[in-house]
Amino acid sequence: MRRVPTLLLVLATALALPGATLPGETKAFIEKNCAACHRSAKAPAGLDLTTLDFQPDNPENYARWVRVHDAVNLGAMPPAAPATLTSAERKAFTSAIAAPMLEFERQRAATQGRAVLRRLNRYEYENTLRDLLGAPWLQLRDSLPEDGIVQRFNKSGQALDVSHVQMSRYMETAEQALRLVLDASHKPETTKRYYARDQKRLLNRMRYSPFNNHPERASIPILGFEAQPDVLAEKAPLTVGDSDPMTRELEAFATPASTYVGNEYHFDQFAAPSGGSYKLRFNTHSIWIHTIYGALLRRDKVEWWRPDRDNTSRGRTTEPVTIYALSRGGEKRLLGTFDVTPEPAIHELDVHLLPGEMILPDASRLFRSRPGFVGSPDATEAGMPGVAYRWMEVTGPVRGAGKVDLTPGDPERSLRQFMTATYRRPPLEAEVQRYLKIVSARLATSPDFTEAMLAGYTAVLCSPGFLYLEEEPGPLTSNALASRLSYFLWNAPPDRELRTLAASGALRKPDVLHAQTNRLLDAPRAKDFLDAFLDFWLDLRKLGDTTPDQTLYPEYYLDDLLLESALKETQLFFGDLVRRNLPAASIVDARFTYLNSHLARHYDLPPVEGSKMRLTQLPANSPRGGLLTQASILKVTANGTTTSPVLRGAWIMERILGEPPPPPPPGVPAVEPDTRGATTIRQQLDKHRSIASCAACHRKIDPPGFALESFDVLGKWRDRYRSIGEGEPVKGIGKNGHAFTFRLSQPVDASGQLATGEPFHDIVEFKRLLLKNERQIARNLVRQFIVYGTGAPVSFADRAEVERILDAAAKDSYGVRSLLHQVVQSKLFTNK
Amino acid sequence: MSRSNFITRRAIPRRAFLRGAGVALGLPMLDAMRPAFAADETSAPPRRMLAICNNLGLLPGGFLPKTAGRDYELSPYLKTLAELREDFTAVSGVSHPDVDGSHSSEVCFLTAAPHPANGGFRNSISLDQFMADQIGVHTRFPSITLGVNVNRGPRSLTWTGSGVMIPCEDSAASVYRRLFLQGTEEEIERQITRLKLGESIMDSVAEHAGGLNAQLGPRDRERLDQYATGVRELERRLVLARAWERKPKPKAPQPPPTDPDSSRAYMEKVRLMYDMSRLAFETDSTRLITLFLDSASSPAIDIEGVNISDGYHNLSHHGRNESKLAQLEAIDQWHMKLLAGLLGKLKGVQEAGQPLLDRTMVLYGSNFGDANKHTTDNLPIILAGGGFQHGQHLAFDPQRNYPLPNLFLSMAQRMGIAADRFASSTGTMRGLEFRG
Repeated sequence: MRRVPTLLLVLATALALPGATLPGETKAFIEKNCAACHRSAKAPAGLDLTTLDFQPDNPENYARWVRVHDAVNLGAMPPAAPATLTSAERKAFTSAIAAPMLEFERQRAATQGRAVLRRLNRYEYENTLRDLLGAPWLQLRDSLPEDGIVQRFNKSGQALDVSHVQMSRYMETAEQALRLVLDASHKPETTKRYYARDQKRLLNRMRYSPFNNHPERASIPILGFEAQPDVLAEKAPLTVGDSDPMTRELEAFATPASTYVGNEYHFDQFAAPSGGSYKLRFNTHSIWIHTIYGALLRRDKVEWWRPDRDNTSRGRTTEPVTIYALSRGGEKRLLGTFDVTPEPAIHELDVHLLPGEMILPDASRLFRSRPGFVGSPDATEAGMPGVAYRWMEVTGPVRGAGKVDLTPGDPERSLRQFMTATYRRPPLEAEVQRYLKIVSARLATSPDFTEAMLAGYTAVLCSPGFLYLEEEPGPLTSNALASRLSYFLWNAPPDRELRTLAASGALRKPDVLHAQTNRLLDAPRAKDFLDAFLDFWLDLRKLGDTTPDQTLYPEYYLDDLLLESALKETQLFFGDLVRRNLPAASIVDARFTYLNSHLARHYDLPPVEGSKMRLTQLPANSPRGGLLTQASILKVTANGTTTSPVLRGAWIMERILGEPPPPPPPGVPAVEPDTRGATTIRQQLDKHRSIASCAACHRKIDPPGFALESFDVLGKWRDRYRSIGEGEPVKGIGKNGHAFTFRLSQPVDASGQLATGEPFHDIVEFKRLLLKNERQIARNLVRQFIVYGTGAPVSFADRAEVERILDAAAKDSYGVRSLLHQVVQSKLFTNK
Repeated sequence: MSRSNFITRRAIPRRAFLRGAGVALGLPMLDAMRPAFAADETSAPPRRMLAICNNLGLLPGGFLPKTAGRDYELSPYLKTLAELREDFTAVSGVSHPDVDGSHSSEVCFLTAAPHPANGGFRNSISLDQFMADQIGVHTRFPSITLGVNVNRGPRSLTWTGSGVMIPCEDSAASVYRRLFLQGTEEEIERQITRLKLGESIMDSVAEHAGGLNAQLGPRDRERLDQYATGVRELERRLVLARAWERKPKPKAPQPPPTDPDSSRAYMEKVRLMYDMSRLAFETDSTRLITLFLDSASSPAIDIEGVNISDGYHNLSHHGRNESKLAQLEAIDQWHMKLLAGLLGKLKGVQEAGQPLLDRTMVLYGSNFGDANKHTTDNLPIILAGGGFQHGQHLAFDPQRNYPLPNLFLSMAQRMGIAADRFASSTGTMRGLEFRG
C-alpha cells in the first residue's frame, strides 16, 4: 500500500524530466527497419517495437531500450538487410535513443545518486560488530537471513530488504553478541593440557561395541611408537598419570581412521569457557600400523589387510591433520591444518572459538570407512598409515577478548562513545537523547547499570544510523567516502586512520585516497574483501553445495581437504593479482598458482611438500594456470555427477567475459549428460546445434565449455569419461572402502571453434585465443568491482566511465590493483 | 548465553520452551483464545502442523504401495490406516536434494540443508520455525519441540533461522505442566519487562527512521519505508506476545500423564507425545509441533506380544535376517497403529464445525529410505489432514527422486504463508491440491 504513492511520485518525476521522451525520428526508423518483424507480442524476443513506449524509470523497460541500442549499434539488428543501413543511419538512431537515456540517468544521479540507500549485508554486519566489540571471534553472519543479490553481489540497496523477521534477528543477534563479549571479558586466561588418554571419545574407540568392532575405526594405545597390548586388553592402567611425567609424555592414542560422522573422535574434555582467541598446541606424530590378513565381514567373507592393534612402529608418512571447532549442535568450523610427521612434534594454532566449542582433529587423508566396506585403499601387506595424538594444550581466552565498556559511570558518556564508533560519524544530539531515553527508562525501574546499557546499545545496533550506509546525492562527504572505501576494500567499517582523514577532509584529495587504497589493500583485512568478492563473483560460497557422486568418483568421497585446498588456491591466486598488480588477463592464464601436496597430486603436477599452500611455478607444458583450470571453478560449474559444456560455457561467458548469454527459451529440455556411457555430451549437443534457432546462441556458449571437458567434476584431468554402464572396468578401492564400480567409457574431445571461427584443440589453445580479449576480461573485472564497491549496478550511462578506467589502466596491462585504483578514483565511486 | 533474548518467544536452547508452574484457570478451549487476535483472524481459519520423524524409518517393503494414484492398493502398513484412507496421502520417490551423510541426515529432515556430514556444515531453518516466523505470534507458544528417547548431542528436528538447535522436550508430564499450569508472578513480570523493552527499542528506531525520511529521494525513501514497516511489524508482534503473559492458561481437559520410567517403553512414550500434541492443538496453545522419534538411540523396546531380541538400531541393520525383519515389521505396525489413533482422535474433535484434523497437517516420515543401508533417498512419507485432497499415493521416480522440500513449500502455503521457496524446493508439490 505504501508503495503506490511513492511509485506515482517517481513516475511523475520521470515524466517531468526534460528529454525523457524519445525524439520523433526514432519512430520513423523503427517503422522502416524493425516493424516488419517486431510488430506484435509474438514478435522475436517478445519485442513489439511499435508499441514499446519509453519509461526510463521502469528498469525492465529501460533494459529493453538498452538491448535495442546495442543490437543496432553492433549490427546484430536488423538482421536481414545489413546492406540497406549505412553506419551513419545506425549511428543517428543509436545516438537518438542514447541521448534521452543518458540524460535520464544523469538527472537521477544528480538528484538521487546512482546508488540506492542500503543497509549492511550480513558479511559486513559480522565484520562491523567484530570490529566494534573488539571480538574477531564472533560468528554472526549465519544468524541473519540471506541477503538479496543484484548483478551477482549482495551490495545493492535494491535487494537488501528488511522485514520483521530481519528486525527480530537484528535485535537478537546484537544482544547476543554484546552478551557474549561481556561474558568473555570476565574470563581469566588459563593454560591446560588435555591428554589423549583422558578423552572419552578416544577411549570409547579403543573398546569395541556392537556398533564399532572394526580395528579400521578403532584407537590403539601406544607408548612411543610401540603398541601397548596390555593397556588395550585393559590389564594395565590406561595411563601412568601424574606419577611418571616422562612416560606420560610418550603415551598416545593412535588410529588408522580419519574423523567423520559415524566415527568421530574429538577432545571432549575441553569446551571453550567463553568466546575468544585461543592458542592450541598439539603433540602428535604419525604411526605405522602393521596388518594381518583376515575377514572383514562375517557374512560375505571378504578378506583384506586389517590393522593389527598389537603391532605398531614408527610412522612412515606425513599426514595432514585439519582442526575443526565442534559445536554442541555438531557443526564444524575450520580452524587450521598442519602436517604430522613421523617425529613427534608440537603444532601451534591461533584460533577463535565460541563458548562451548570443542576441538576435533581430522587426519583427513586417512580412510573413511562406510558400512559394507571391503578394504582400505591405504592398507597393504606392509601395514597402513595412522596418526597418534598425545595431548592438546589450550591457552585462553587470550586477554582482550572484547571491549564493551559497562563499568558503572555516566550513561550518557558511555552511550555517546558507543554511538560515535557505531555510526561511523559523530552522532547527532537528538540521536543520543533518543537512545539515552531507553537507558534511563531502564535505570528508573532497576538499578542494574549493565542491563540498562545493554538495552541502549542493542537499540543503537538496530537503528538506521548503524544499519544503513548514509550517502547523499552528489559527491560523497568524506565520512561517507571513508565508509564506502573501507566497506569496499575491507568489507568492514573505517578504522581510526580513515576516520581521522575523513574528519579533516583530507581523504577527498586524490593522492590521499590513493595512498589509503594501497594501505587498505596491503592490510591483512583486505582478505575479508577478497574472500567475499570471490564468494559472489565466482560462486565460491557454493563450493560445497554438491558432492561428487559416490559411484562415479569414489576417490573424492568426503575429501574435505581437497575442497579446502581448492578454495585457498583461488583465494591466494586472486590475492596475488591484487598484491602484485598482475594483468587482469592472468584470470585466463598464468604461469603460477598456489598448491599443496594434495592439490599438486590432484593436478598431476610435480610433488609439493605438505598441506601448506605454496606459490608454485607451473611447468611449461601444464594445462593449469588461471582461474578456469582451478579445481574450485571446475567444481562450482559442475553438479558432482556430470559436467555440461553448456553450463560451464555460459558460466565463463557471464563471469569471465561479461557477456551473459540469454536464458534458454522456455519448453526446451536441458541436455543431460548420459552417465551410462552410450553417447557423449558432444554428440547430444551436436544434434541440438544443428537446429538453427539453437545454434545462434550455442555456437557462442558451448565452445568454452568444450575446452573444459578435459576436467572432471572436481577439476582433475581426464582423457575418458566415467560411466556407470558401458566401458572398461577399473580396479581400486575408494576412500570409503568400497570397490570401484565405475567404468571408463568414451574418450574426451575438448576441441571446438569459437563463434568467431578460430579453432582450438584443447584447453591450452583455447586459453591462448581467450587471451586476445585482454580488454574485455579487464572490463568485466572492472564492472564487478564497481558493483561491489559502489553498491550500484553498472548502468548504460556508466559505460563511458568504465572505458575511461580501462584506458587509464591500459599502460599497466590492466593490472588488477591499477584497476582498483582507477575504480576508487572514478566519479562512480566518489559520488553517491 | 545466560539469558534468553528480548524476543523471548523464540525458543532458546535449554531455557527455551515454556515457563512455569502455577494455577490452572477454568477456560473453555479454542474459541476462547481467539478474541485478543480477532483482527488477525477474520479471514483464514487457524491451521496447524505436527511433523514427526522416525530416524530409523519404515521397512520399504511394508510401507511402499505397489500401485500409484487415487485407486492405489494399500500396502501392508497403510492397511492399518485403512479407515482414514481419504485423510492421508502416501508419498514415495522423494528425498531432500544433496542431503546425504548417513545418520546425521536426521537433523535435516525438516531443514533440507545439504551435506550434514561435511566439514563446515551449518544447518538452516526448519519448516516449523519458518512457519513460526509468520504465525507463531498467534498462540501462546510459537512452536513446541518434542522428542522420544532423544540421546544427547545434536538431535532435534527444530532449528532456528540463526542455525541454532532447539532441544527436544522428552517428558510428556513436563509438556502438560507447561501447557496448563500458570507461571509465577515473578516469571511473568520478567517476561513482560523484556517484551516491553523490545517494544520500546522498536519504537525508538521507528521514530528515528521517520525523522530521516523527509530528506531522502524517492528510491531511498522507499528503502527506508520498508525498514520502518519491518520495525513497526515487529513491534506489533511483541505487543501481541505480551498479551499472552497475562492471559490465563486453558483448563486441563484431562489429568496429567505419567512418564514411563524406562526407554524400553518407547511406544507408550510415543503415544503420550501424540496425546500432548493433540491437547496443545485442541487448546490452541501452539499450532506448530515437531516430534523426533530417536529410534536409533532406543534399546530393545517393549512391543506387545512380540519378543524383541535386539536394540532398535541393531534391528534396523537386519541384513535380511528373517527374525529381525519380523520384529521390525511388528514395530513398524505399532507406529502405524499409534498414528491411526492420533489421526482418529483429531478427526473426532470439532473446531468451528470442522474436524480438527482438516486443519492439522500431520507429517510422518524419516530421513532414511532404508535404514539397513543408510540411504537418504526414497524416503517414506505420509501426509495426513490439514486441508489437502488426500486418498492417493503420489509415486515419484525412485531413480531420480522428486524434491521433498516441494511438499514443505505446499505445507507452508497451506499454512497461509506467502512463500515461493523453502530450502531447495523447485515449486509446490506436484499432484497435491488444497481442499476447502
